[in-house]
Amino acid sequence: MSNLLSVENLTMQFGGLTAIDNLSFDAKNNEITSIIGPNGAGKTTVFNCLTGFYKPTNGQMFLHKDEGKISLRKYTDFKIAHVAKVARTFQNIRLFPAMSVLENLLVAQHNELMVASGYSLFGLLNLKSYRDKEQLAVDKARYWLDIIGLTNRADDNAGDLPYGDQRKLEIVRAMCIEPKLLCLDEPAAGLNPKESAELNKLLKFIKTEKKTGILLIEHDMSVVMGISDHVVVLNYGKKIFEGTADQTKTSKEVIEAYLGVDE
Amino acid sequence: MEKKDIIQSVKDSLFTGIIALALFGPIVGLRTASKGEGLFITPQWGLVFILVGLCILGRFLINLNSARKTEFTFFSKFTSKLSSVTEEKAKHLAITAILFAVVFPFLPFTDRYFMDVAIMILTYIMLGWGLNIVVGLAGLLDLGYVAFYAVGAYSYALIATTFGWSFWICLPLAGIFAAFFGILLGFPVLRLRGDYLAIVTLGFGEIIRIVLINWYEVTNGPDGITGIPRPSFFGLPFKRSPDEGEASFHTFFNLEYSTMHRIIFLYYLILVLALITNYFTLKIRKLPVGRAWEALREDEIACKSLGVNPTNTKLTAFAIGAMFGGFAGSFFATRQAFISPESFTFIESAIIVAIVVLGGMGSQTGVVLASIFLIGITEMFRDLEQFRMIAFGGAMVLIMVFKPKGILANRKPTILMHGDKK
Repeated sequence: MSNLLSVENLTMQFGGLTAIDNLSFDAKNNEITSIIGPNGAGKTTVFNCLTGFYKPTNGQMFLHKDEGKISLRKYTDFKIAHVAKVARTFQNIRLFPAMSVLENLLVAQHNELMVASGYSLFGLLNLKSYRDKEQLAVDKARYWLDIIGLTNRADDNAGDLPYGDQRKLEIVRAMCIEPKLLCLDEPAAGLNPKESAELNKLLKFIKTEKKTGILLIEHDMSVVMGISDHVVVLNYGKKIFEGTADQTKTSKEVIEAYLGVDE
Repeated sequence: MEKKDIIQSVKDSLFTGIIALALFGPIVGLRTASKGEGLFITPQWGLVFILVGLCILGRFLINLNSARKTEFTFFSKFTSKLSSVTEEKAKHLAITAILFAVVFPFLPFTDRYFMDVAIMILTYIMLGWGLNIVVGLAGLLDLGYVAFYAVGAYSYALIATTFGWSFWICLPLAGIFAAFFGILLGFPVLRLRGDYLAIVTLGFGEIIRIVLINWYEVTNGPDGITGIPRPSFFGLPFKRSPDEGEASFHTFFNLEYSTMHRIIFLYYLILVLALITNYFTLKIRKLPVGRAWEALREDEIACKSLGVNPTNTKLTAFAIGAMFGGFAGSFFATRQAFISPESFTFIESAIIVAIVVLGGMGSQTGVVLASIFLIGITEMFRDLEQFRMIAFGGAMVLIMVFKPKGILANRKPTILMHGDKK
């Protein structure tokens, strides 16, 4: 399996605090790579660096695409999603609560629709070419809603959905930008066991059917151990272990980091 | 209702009376009047007692009502009915309203005064609709909207008086100028949201006004610009005695000369401009850019994570909102034939924001209702002179008490997957 993402010597400092210290790891195509670690280990900071919300103090991040490798450092802000095709979800759900479920998924396809609407000109003239493109976007939204079973709620406000559905909606909304790499920040937080199992199924589907690499931050070990192909363990901003799920379970360093050292 | 409740509400009403007395006592009770040499105080205790009595009675009635657990139903019922109408019915309502607006000038009771008020209300509706793009859709609280109104009015006035071009050429130019200023304001405030944005836009509104006052060479300062050309009816001016060899509106159509002709024309002009604004907003709301505005209002960080460019999205909202403000400004200039910086004070911005917020953020119909309600009530009490602003404040309080989220606060999705069944 080829590399999708390489993080090389990533360092992020906030003033005197080093949140990430010289971190290097790889994530492969069609694999789920989990980043785990105790609270404050710097997991979300890694995500914020990858997705352009922070500018790292040092180090490089490369995304390997078909047309060659690109450096994520060059892209900031919205360009990470627009150009580099790295999508993310958030620890605290960030949907557009007062907009309908369908609208949420259409905003994710904003850039293609913007071009199709001739930057609003064709859309104002109501040309057929735009209406066709809009229909395609709706079809894509329907495809994803069918998968998570929310098609009949497409016209309801996203904020009115139950918590577990909101989590799933946020994930498929990110998938609507057709990302190469999908970064999920604690997608199982607050889910009950049944919902966690559904989430596992959805993530496996995205991995195998959509050929999308997934980077996952998670505390719920049933999710991590159930679906991860590769686990990276952080503690105090440093990588303390890297390996498969089974190797991680038995690793002495990891157990020490979570449970402390026997004096 | 129990005895305990009644005693409670009487106590509460009396307390309200004490507050009312403390307020009205000095404000209304002690009237200053200058007689001969010096200022004298004329007490007006009768008036104070009437006002305080009214407050106590009003408070008591409200208490009775809330104790009975029934709401003040008329207003809420009316508006909730309005917000729950189906698409089909809403269309009928809108067409009826537009038809009424079209025949309004020819109704038997319509006189000059009614027309003037109607034109004013329509101007505010248009401004409200323009600002609705910025505040209601994009969620950017702009307290300096009057600046674009001023830019539109002054650019129309300056172009028309300098080059003598016709209204129909100057109007789009004024709109473009205003849109340019919208972008100019947009750039520095891109990173700001909420209160901070409001403060900066408020400052921007004042800056424009102060520049207009002090840039004497161009704007003629506080003296304002006079002799702004009136609009013509497709080349036919509204003049009593047209120049030699030139037709005017009444000679061309063989009518008796009347000043009402121009008023009616101005009325239709602002009606058409306002309807264009509305049509444009309704259309663009359903386009990707409109959805991006609303998404930006909901969550800017999520927008970024989905690849929506927040800079462009905000700037288009500012520019388009400003453009409609500019159109309204040109209309104002051509209607008044005279403009000065005094017409563009902060109170205008405040009224427009009030109309948008009280109408229900993002609701086009709400803007219409709020404009009619706020401006109409203020006009009804014009005889009270300086006290008519109390009516304005009272109207605002009424809306805030009974409809805290705005008159029409529901939002319909811009696109439906399952059609309009519900």
